[in-house]
Amino acid sequence: MAQLEIRIGNVTLKNPVILASGPAGYGAEYADFIGLEKLGAVVTKTISLNPKAGNSGRRLLETPSGLLNSVGLENVGADLFFGEKLPRLLELGAKPIVSLACEGREDYLKLLETVSGNDTVDMVELNLSCPNVDCGGMAVGTSPELLNWYVSSARQILPGRALLAKLTPNVGDIAGLAEVCQDAGADGVTAINTLLGMDIDPDTGKPIFDRVVAGLSGPAIMPVALRAVYEISSRVRIPVLGSGGITSVTDARKFLAAGAAGIQIGTAIFYDPGLPERIISAVTGAQQGKE
Amino acid sequence: MNMNRGPFQAVIESKEQISPSTYMLTLQKPEGFVEAMPGQFVSIKIGDSTSPLLRRPFSIMDSTPGSLLLLVKDVGPGTSYIVSRKPSQTLDLIGPLGETYFDIPSGEDAVFVAGGTGLAPLVFTARKWAKDHRIGISHFLYGASTERELLTGICREDFTYVHVATLDGSEGFEGDVVKMFNVLREKGALPERYLFSCGPAGMVKKLMEGGTENFKSHQTSLETVMACGVGACRGCVVPLKSSGAPVYRAVCSEGTVFEADDIDWENWRE
Repeated sequence: MAQLEIRIGNVTLKNPVILASGPAGYGAEYADFIGLEKLGAVVTKTISLNPKAGNSGRRLLETPSGLLNSVGLENVGADLFFGEKLPRLLELGAKPIVSLACEGREDYLKLLETVSGNDTVDMVELNLSCPNVDCGGMAVGTSPELLNWYVSSARQILPGRALLAKLTPNVGDIAGLAEVCQDAGADGVTAINTLLGMDIDPDTGKPIFDRVVAGLSGPAIMPVALRAVYEISSRVRIPVLGSGGITSVTDARKFLAAGAAGIQIGTAIFYDPGLPERIISAVTGAQQGKE
Repeated sequence: MNMNRGPFQAVIESKEQISPSTYMLTLQKPEGFVEAMPGQFVSIKIGDSTSPLLRRPFSIMDSTPGSLLLLVKDVGPGTSYIVSRKPSQTLDLIGPLGETYFDIPSGEDAVFVAGGTGLAPLVFTARKWAKDHRIGISHFLYGASTERELLTGICREDFTYVHVATLDGSEGFEGDVVKMFNVLREKGALPERYLFSCGPAGMVKKLMEGGTENFKSHQTSLETVMACGVGACRGCVVPLKSSGAPVYRAVCSEGTVFEADDIDWENWRE
C-alpha cells in the first residue's frame, strides 16, 4: 500500500493534500463541490476569540493570475465555531485543523484555553500574519520575539496537540523565522500566507481598499511560495506544508520536490474545486508507480 | 445529503446577439442540475488560463426542463471568453447558487425595475410566477442608453405592461429608468404594492431616493464581484443598516435577494 500518510507532531493525516485557511470557509460551504472526507485535512477560516465583522469597503480585486483580498478575518468567534461550525465539519467526515488568530495577547491566551477544553481538535495552525494591536499593527510573524511568544504560549497551553505555524512571506529571512517557530515548539510550519499588495484608483488617486493594503494570493505568488518552502526545508527538521498559488498537479509535485511534506490549496478552489481530489489521485498514482 | 451543484460541463445550444454588447445564451441543462429559483445564479469558469482567474457570476434568466438561459454582456476579458464560445462547445459552470429568492404573496400585482443585464433575474421571476399563477398585473420598467441597447425584445410577453426609457429618447421615455418610474408613480400608473429591482447600485439607490416608501416590499437582487460564490470566502459582502457593530452579508450565499431597506447603501462598494 502506498505511503501517503504524513505525520505532524502526534497526528497522522491520511494524505498530504489539505485545504488552506480562508477560501474554504468553515468547510461545509464546499461540501457540495469537494469530497472533504477524502482530503488529508481542512484548515478552517481563522477563528478569533470574539466574532469579527471583517473589513469595510471593497474586499476583493482580481489581478493578473492573482487575487487581492481584504476580508479582515471575518469570523463567527470561538463560541459559535466550536458550538456549530466545527461539529458540522466533523460530521462531514473531514479532518479539521483549526486556524487561530494571533491578535492581542490576552484574547489569544483565552482562545488557546478554549481550544484546550475541546477534545475534538488535535491540530491547530497559528495565523501569524495577524496585525498585532500591542505592537502598532505589525504582523506578529515579522518579529522573532513575538513569534517565539505566540508559538511557545500555544505549545504550553496545548501540550500533545499538533501545532502548525503559518508564516508570512513579508519578511527578510523566512527560514530564520521558521527556525524560531521550531525552537518554540512548533510541530510544523505552513509557508506562505498572502503577500502584501495594494491597488489605487488612478482617477481619484486613492487606494481601492479601506485598509489600503490587501493580501495577494493565487498563481501569481507560486514562485515566491516555492522559494520559501525550498529555503525553509533545508533549515528545519519539522515538516513544512507548502501553500501559495498551487493551481495544478504539476505545481503540487514541485512543492513536494522542494521539500514540502504536504501542500495546501486555497484560491484555486474558487475556480477549480476538483483540483484537490485530482492531486490526491496523482500523488496516489505516483506512489503506486514506485512500488 | 449533498446537492449536486457541479462543476457541470454545459453545452451551448444557441447564442443570440440581442444588442451590440449583449448575448443571450441557451445552455443544455446539465444532467442533475437542481431546480433553480428566481434570483439564483450560476458561476462560469473562464477557460483554462489563470488570467482571468475567477469564475464570473450570471443570474439565471430562465430554467426550463431542458435548458438554462443566461444573459451575458461583453464587458471585459472574462465575459469576452464566454461570448466567444460557439454552439456545441461547453461552459464549465457551478450552480444554482444563492440562497434567497424573489417572493410575492399569491395574486399580488408587481412592479419590476431593471437596468442592463439586471433584466435577467426579473424575467425569470415573472415567467416562474406566471407559470405558477402567482402574479396579478405586472409592470416592467427598463432603461438603456439608446434604443439599440434595449433588451426588452426578449421579454415583451412576460409582463402585462413594458415601459422603456432611453437616455437619448430614441425609444420610449426620454431619460433614465428611475425618472420614468417617478413619473409613472406620480401619475398613479403603478400598483404600489410589491417592487422588485435589479441593476447597478446607483440605480437602486436613486430609485429609493425618488420614493419607494409606499410599497409594502422592495426586494432587490444585488450584483457584485465574487470569488467563491458559496459564502465561504466572505469577499462579496454587503453592509446592512445597523445601530451597533457593522453587519455584513454575503451577496452570494445570503443573497442575492435582499430587502432594499435593509442595505446600508452609503457604505456599500459594489
